[in-house]
Amino acid sequence: MKTQFPNAYVLNVLTGDHPGIIAAITRSVNQRGGNIDACSQTVVEGFFTLIMVISFAKPVEPDALATEIRGDQATGFQVVARKFVPPVVKPVAAVDRFVLTAFGKDKPGIVRRFSEYLAGKDINILDLFAHREGDDFLLIGQVEIPATRDLALLQADLEQIAAEEAFTVKLQHENIFVATNQLRFER
Amino acid sequence: MLRTDEILSTIQMLHAESLDVRTVTLALNLDDCAAPSMDSLCRKLREKITGRASRLVETCNKVGRKYGIPIVNKRLAITPASHLLAGHGQAAALAVAKTLDEATAACGIDLVGGFSALVHKGITPADACVMRSLPEVLSQTKRVCASINVATTKAGVNMDAIGEMGRIILEIAAATAAQKGFGCAKLVVFANIPEDNPFMAGAYVGEGEPEAAVNIGVSGPNVVVSALRRRLALGKKLTLNELAEEIKLTSFRVTRVGELVGREVADELGIAFGIVDLSLAPTPKVGDSVGEILKTLGIAQIGAPGSTAAVAMLTDAVKKGGAFASSSVGGMSGAFIPVSEDEVLDNAVTKGWLSLEKLEAMTSVCSVGLDMIAIPGNTPAETIAAIIADEATIGVVNNKTTGVRLIPVPGAKVGDRVEYGGLFGGATIMEVRNSGASADFVNHGGRIPAPIQSLRN
Repeated sequence: MKTQFPNAYVLNVLTGDHPGIIAAITRSVNQRGGNIDACSQTVVEGFFTLIMVISFAKPVEPDALATEIRGDQATGFQVVARKFVPPVVKPVAAVDRFVLTAFGKDKPGIVRRFSEYLAGKDINILDLFAHREGDDFLLIGQVEIPATRDLALLQADLEQIAAEEAFTVKLQHENIFVATNQLRFER
Repeated sequence: MLRTDEILSTIQMLHAESLDVRTVTLALNLDDCAAPSMDSLCRKLREKITGRASRLVETCNKVGRKYGIPIVNKRLAITPASHLLAGHGQAAALAVAKTLDEATAACGIDLVGGFSALVHKGITPADACVMRSLPEVLSQTKRVCASINVATTKAGVNMDAIGEMGRIILEIAAATAAQKGFGCAKLVVFANIPEDNPFMAGAYVGEGEPEAAVNIGVSGPNVVVSALRRRLALGKKLTLNELAEEIKLTSFRVTRVGELVGREVADELGIAFGIVDLSLAPTPKVGDSVGEILKTLGIAQIGAPGSTAAVAMLTDAVKKGGAFASSSVGGMSGAFIPVSEDEVLDNAVTKGWLSLEKLEAMTSVCSVGLDMIAIPGNTPAETIAAIIADEATIGVVNNKTTGVRLIPVPGAKVGDRVEYGGLFGGATIMEVRNSGASADFVNHGGRIPAPIQSLRN
């Protein structure tokens, strides 16, 4: 990504969710003459978090920027700012996108168990959702699996882990979800 | 990135509501196997089937695993056996059928359809050979399924062929009496037979179809039932057009699953993707029932007034959702009401709510006809023929496919139970009213002329 201005920073904000958070952040950025180059936000169980890439014509001190955005402590913002360094693009081996879903009675260590397995197989987690409902726990990971991996073996391993944890697990290609939910389905 | 609710709704459909791909059917043209000697013909059949279909099961399993969806049946449909039997005698028909049975068994294929003849305008010697061999073929093979097309909207209704099929159906039942006439479950008598139907027993490969193609039949009654129940559980009073909308949306999603799987299987096999058949195909499993959909729509006793309207609405909504989901829709594409294979319909027959006449009315607005209905074994051939004539005429006049799959169960009387097991389910013997009163009509023979295509009231 090429930012608007040469001096780019990445912001991370955490606070209780309420109307006006983004307005407050962008007001501070705008008042310094900055530009918002990329942003993603989500809310989990009433907590708002945001990651944003912003850029300025002149360099700024990241800590000063974070303090300024945090503003009045009464807002309860936690803000971290650091210099944005574009990630080095490494040649990526062919990957295919899959969705892992796991469901069962909640207990500590479930996310660790599955994520450690995925990490051990060079499987990158692109998006993770987890939710506790009553005593049950649901985990959904959208993952990239190297094309060299044998899907049947991965599924067998995951089913073994699921059996040990008394969970139900599925690893399915993302196209089944795209096909059943999105109007336009490019094959 | 996919949204969590999208992922969850698909997971619900696949894993909690029994959605499966009911069949991946490899459609294969076997006309080039024709040969003057029987040995040569059978050898060519074996070689072509095993050459083209040997990877079907393995490929289906691989694709099913990738998407996390079961593919229940892997089947083969072929060009009509009558093409192969031209110039051969009846002994050849059985030899061809046994070769089809063995070759498909060797490939792990469940059923092979296309032991067929198209006789809507007349019966050739090869067609007659197929028809006359059916009692032997359907009693001595396991996987072979047959279909005879006796009527089309353009040609009219061939009453000579229908009269003959009335007699042959009784002979098949007698030849498979030990299995309660089960041979008849492997035969459909059609009007306007579809050329790319993936469902058995009526699958075959018609003229104009490619050398090989993959056709798909999806399941889905339980998915529709669950979707309707979820909407109704919200407590808001829903109109029928709102319920139809829900069916349409569900059909869209179900069809997409079929097309995704079908295209991938076709790509893996290096052949063309054919069609997705939208038909909601029930199974004897509780809940996976077209009857249950009608109950959910408010028909407490299937067969009660309103049943025809409900099944028409269902069929139309399924077609609309499916046609938007895929540009490759074909086959029968409606809602099946096979009595023995649908637990709620079977129960309605047992309770006396659903009659043959009401089923006939329902089939005038949905595919695919009087399907998997057990009747008394002493039903006269002319009466069976007359039932076929009525159903075929509904198809001919309405420009749609209809079929008849009746099982006259030897020795059984109205109210008796027969169990066939598996996807075929079980049935209570249904009353055929006015049995024997149509003989003179049927025995006229000849052809009911094709209906006029104007003055459509």
